[in-house]
Amino acid sequence: MSEKIKILYVDDEPDNLIGFKATLRINYQVFVTDKVDEAFNILDRNPDIRVVFCDQRMPGKTGVEFFEEMRAKHPAPVRILLTGYSDAESTIAAINKGNIFRYCQKPWTEPDIFSAIEEANKFYMATSMLTVKNNELQTAYEELNKFAYSVSHDIRGPLTGILGAINVAHDIDDINEMKEMLVLMEKSISKLDSYIISMHDYYSLQRGELKISEINLAQLMDELKPLYEVSSKVNEVGFEVQVTQTQTFRSDRELLKLIFNNLLSNAFKYQDKRKINKRVDVIIEVEHNMATVYVKDTGVGILGNHIGEIFNLFYRANSQEVGSGFGLYNVKGALLKLNGQIEVNSIMDQGTTFKVTIPSL
Amino acid sequence: MALSLIVIDESQLDCFIAQKIIQFAYADSTVKLHNNALTAFEAIRDGNTGLALPAVIFLDLQMPIMNGFEFLEAYERLPDEITDQYRIFILSSTLNKNDISRGRTYRTVLGVVEKPLTKEKLEDVFHKYSIG
Repeated sequence: MSEKIKILYVDDEPDNLIGFKATLRINYQVFVTDKVDEAFNILDRNPDIRVVFCDQRMPGKTGVEFFEEMRAKHPAPVRILLTGYSDAESTIAAINKGNIFRYCQKPWTEPDIFSAIEEANKFYMATSMLTVKNNELQTAYEELNKFAYSVSHDIRGPLTGILGAINVAHDIDDINEMKEMLVLMEKSISKLDSYIISMHDYYSLQRGELKISEINLAQLMDELKPLYEVSSKVNEVGFEVQVTQTQTFRSDRELLKLIFNNLLSNAFKYQDKRKINKRVDVIIEVEHNMATVYVKDTGVGILGNHIGEIFNLFYRANSQEVGSGFGLYNVKGALLKLNGQIEVNSIMDQGTTFKVTIPSL
Repeated sequence: MALSLIVIDESQLDCFIAQKIIQFAYADSTVKLHNNALTAFEAIRDGNTGLALPAVIFLDLQMPIMNGFEFLEAYERLPDEITDQYRIFILSSTLNKNDISRGRTYRTVLGVVEKPLTKEKLEDVFHKYSIG
């Protein structure tokens, strides 16, 4: 059963509070108070209160005044005034100013209050849904802007390079120069291709549903390893994977692959070519329904002042041409879906360690 | 007259192309390539470019570590004796109008050239600014 809707009732007459609570507590979680100050404390402590009832006639402050103040501090809960006929004028003014949603006549009847809560709750849901959707839309727009911006660099960049190379090729006679250029062209095309793959990952992440299954992490790593063994051999980077898993681990296979692939390709990508004893080590442990993954490299490291930004879309902390600024952003997106966490520790010129924790789902 | 040029571009391919285009158009030119703006800036600041001055700079905009704008900010704070020796052109594939107009606001930037660089574009700008 879903949690009961929380409502608050403010009235200076204790008898009213008792009656109200007795009537409604079976269907709702009811907070009551006879003091305005206490009402604000309750709202501070319970930001998920959806409906607030207040008596108009109270000593010190009227219900309308209370709601006006509350609207500024806690705009989300729906405000309903309890009032008699004689206060019609101030009630109408308050409704027109938008400070209250509706009013119930005193003395109230049960059906009145129930229907008021029903309506108020619908309004609350619609409004909060709108806020959520608005925030999502805002994020989507910001990302779209970043995409539009990156298109001219990350897609057009490699293409203009290749176009330029074709132009230059007409004037090059030396076969070795031509070969040198072909290698650079190949690099540009690979970069464009990996950008497109990452963009596809990004899209799947945003739109895809989780597919949870039991994961054998050693087996998963065995699938991924061959991709990096080439790079390990060619660039003389020691590569070792250790998996300790004695209990079942449930998660989304594709998202795990995305996370591991990005962390591993970074670990190989950002090695310091001049170093001897280059290494990439992966340690995975599953314990207490939690997988802890370390990906350690002996690479170039990340400058301290860039660490906060490496998970941002299109952020690149390294001048090597290889990065698209997509990878860690996608890792973070995937971890968000899996309720996972990521930490990074890096020392310039010594290496970087990413620690990822993912709960079994 | 022998020409000195510096190309600052993170893309090795674009550096290669710029170098070839320049050398085909001006056979006795000397070109230095920098894949990141910071090393280029340091060389210019410290007088270590290895080039006979004055020199022309082709500067890309979007680069990690130090982008083209950051380069220009830092460069324009250098003493006049240094900045008088260089003429800067932005060389970028960007379609972003803000970036292009922002690039033009720097007093040390003579012009913006759209990638890919070709012999014709190179000769055009050099002719316009009486270089070479």
